[in-house]
Amino acid sequence: MTELFIRLIRRPQGFVGVALVALVAVACLFGPALAPYAPEKIDFLGRFRAPGWQNWLGADQFGRDILSRLMVGARSTVPMALIATFVGSAAGAIIGVGSAYLGGRTDEAIMRTNDAVMAIPGLLMALLLVSTLGNGAGNAVVAIAVAFAPGMARVARSVALNVRNQDYVKAAIARGEGAGWIIFREMLPNVMAPIVIESTIRVSFAVMLFATLSFLGVGAQPPASEWGLMVADARQYMYQAPWGLIAPSVAIALTAIAFNLLGDGLRDVLNPKDER
Amino acid sequence: MTPALAIQNYTLDYVTAAGPVRVLHEISLEIRPGEVLGLVGESGSGKSSLAWALMRHLPDNAREVAGSLRLGDVDLRRLSPRELTKIRGRRIGMVFQDPSTSLNPTLTIGRQVTETLTQHRGLKQSEADALAIDLLGHVDLRDPAAIMRRYPHEISGGEKQRVIIATAFGCRPDVILFDEPTTALDVITGARILELFARLREETGVAALYISHDLALVTRVADRVAVLKRGRLVEQAPAADIFRAPRHADTQALVQAVPRPERRLVHDKSSEEVLLSASDIEVHYGRASLFGHAPPPATKSVGLDVRAGEILGLVGESGSGKSSMARALTGLARFSGRVCFDKHVITSARDMNAAYRRDVQIIFQHPDSSLNPRHKVGEILSRPLKLYGGTADEIPRLLEQVRLPASYAGRWPHQLSGGEKQRVAIARAFAARPKLVICDEITAPLDVSVQAQIIELLLALRAETGTAFLFITHDLNLIRQIAHRIAVMRRGEVVDLLPVEDFDADHVHPYTRELMAASPVPVG
Repeated sequence: MTELFIRLIRRPQGFVGVALVALVAVACLFGPALAPYAPEKIDFLGRFRAPGWQNWLGADQFGRDILSRLMVGARSTVPMALIATFVGSAAGAIIGVGSAYLGGRTDEAIMRTNDAVMAIPGLLMALLLVSTLGNGAGNAVVAIAVAFAPGMARVARSVALNVRNQDYVKAAIARGEGAGWIIFREMLPNVMAPIVIESTIRVSFAVMLFATLSFLGVGAQPPASEWGLMVADARQYMYQAPWGLIAPSVAIALTAIAFNLLGDGLRDVLNPKDER
Repeated sequence: MTPALAIQNYTLDYVTAAGPVRVLHEISLEIRPGEVLGLVGESGSGKSSLAWALMRHLPDNAREVAGSLRLGDVDLRRLSPRELTKIRGRRIGMVFQDPSTSLNPTLTIGRQVTETLTQHRGLKQSEADALAIDLLGHVDLRDPAAIMRRYPHEISGGEKQRVIIATAFGCRPDVILFDEPTTALDVITGARILELFARLREETGVAALYISHDLALVTRVADRVAVLKRGRLVEQAPAADIFRAPRHADTQALVQAVPRPERRLVHDKSSEEVLLSASDIEVHYGRASLFGHAPPPATKSVGLDVRAGEILGLVGESGSGKSSMARALTGLARFSGRVCFDKHVITSARDMNAAYRRDVQIIFQHPDSSLNPRHKVGEILSRPLKLYGGTADEIPRLLEQVRLPASYAGRWPHQLSGGEKQRVAIARAFAARPKLVICDEITAPLDVSVQAQIIELLLALRAETGTAFLFITHDLNLIRQIAHRIAVMRRGEVVDLLPVEDFDADHVHPYTRELMAASPVPVG
């Protein structure tokens, strides 16, 4: 594990990815404690204050400090995206591996249904679900997880089909093991590496999707300092105070890039053929 | 006379994360023009590294410490990449182990053969085509003009190897390196390739380095044999002598390990009581789809019976349906027909209850893939104990039974060697205390010496437990050492089922005789 980590931070994209993710993690864990102001403290004298010594990243239409809001808002953006990705990936992996194990017509039925769900674009799917389930951060998480599961099932199945043909799976079938044991203990551990990589890359999509949902007004609700919501709020004042728009956008982009780079680095490091 | 190929004090290291590892220690070898030198060694002895060094195609982490490699009057180590392309294929040819990966799947056979000819012999395309047809005809390929237009997947493995040999001989090289050219082929095809090699060699007088792990085979094709052990040359002798009078202890061990049909290892008689009888077994792969018929069954109403405590051999070339039988009997493949085991009648995999699954165990060919890489040895062995009754306390006993230290329970499969992995797979099968163990080519991927140890272990386990074996193999010499009866399969049918003593008799099936003729019996 430590050796893996050392190899990860030795390559440039791995190092940048780890550093940025660490920064985001610090904001999530200690954001409220480190923030210079309370996120909802209104200062009417400081409306649209430009970035400077008082408000490092400027202030919004109510004079709220943008840096503080970003730091506190990390907590309602990034963990949500992580949870959504984790739930979606886990569900997708189990569907994919199970489908590969069952094979034959069951596999066909599961995968064609999966294809049908995949044909709906992710954002549309998420919007559809949130509008049925109702607005709110929790429902947005469910919607993103459901939108992610089919893609993950596809990736997991393709790897699991190889594993299915390995003799250790045949040996387990021959000695009469149950389906649960074979799927969870024999096959899943051997398809984990590509799933872990795929899901780190997907975290960045989830961050963006979650921000998009909040931007459209169906995710987190005001006065939460969720990043997508901050972009939506600042949109009207774009010409007066562009910093209100730029700061949360950059935060979203940086987080997405961080997880993307981490995923790329992990893909290289976890590849056993890579001996460098 | 200058030797065709001379290797002097050649020493090679591989640089790894743990420091340099020496793979070849001061190797000195000479091949005279027209001579075939056999190079024998276990896997990991460095024989392929030597071949790649001669082809000047070593991996990036290789460091040549000392020594020289001379091809006639050329020092191979001093050549620039540009000069090397003129030597490779032109003066030094190579035939690889696996013909299926050494031809480019996207080019026609004709393109691949003529490319070498136009490159090295400066022929025009039309001349090269004519010569290529000539060469392919010369390696006994039927209708060479048609073969030229085909792609590699449209011809068989034996035909591919013939194409590669034709290409290697096509530029009339001084030396050809053969790296286990028959290992990936089945017995009869391999034997024909060897005949072809002997004929071409007589005609062209080419010098060759023939690399193999099979000492018996090498003594038949080579004039002289060199034995390599962990990167050191331990013995060099004329082929006829090395078998009769091996001097070095390692060579003696290699000679001892070669299976010989006349040296029986099992001396008892099996009982008459039938343990498992299978009749009319047809194994089906794939199903009929909406627009097509199901493929024909892999076996055609095969009948077999295994007696209690017996070793029944099942031999045949690849594709003869012998592994399909193993899959059917363990419920891994769909089959029709009847299996009668212990007064219990089975007509499909669903009828196989826990008792049958416990009593009939299977050991697979590749130990790398039959042990889950994410489970420790202890966990692998605990599963059958949990399923069939038993406690984890038995794991040390199971490991001891297959001659492995009890501490191996804490190891991962990738930390074991091929032979040790196969021992773990054997322990897993015997954890169930089975009445019948199906061994599906379990020694095929192992070296001859490791194979001998595994066979010894199986026979010891049989003496302890009285288990019957269905031993599937393509090695007729090996199975004639241990089996009570042998079934010969060909194209999904059993053509012969004979007690082992009758194999020298006259009433064997012509195919069985062909199979026996193709199995290399050691010289001397």
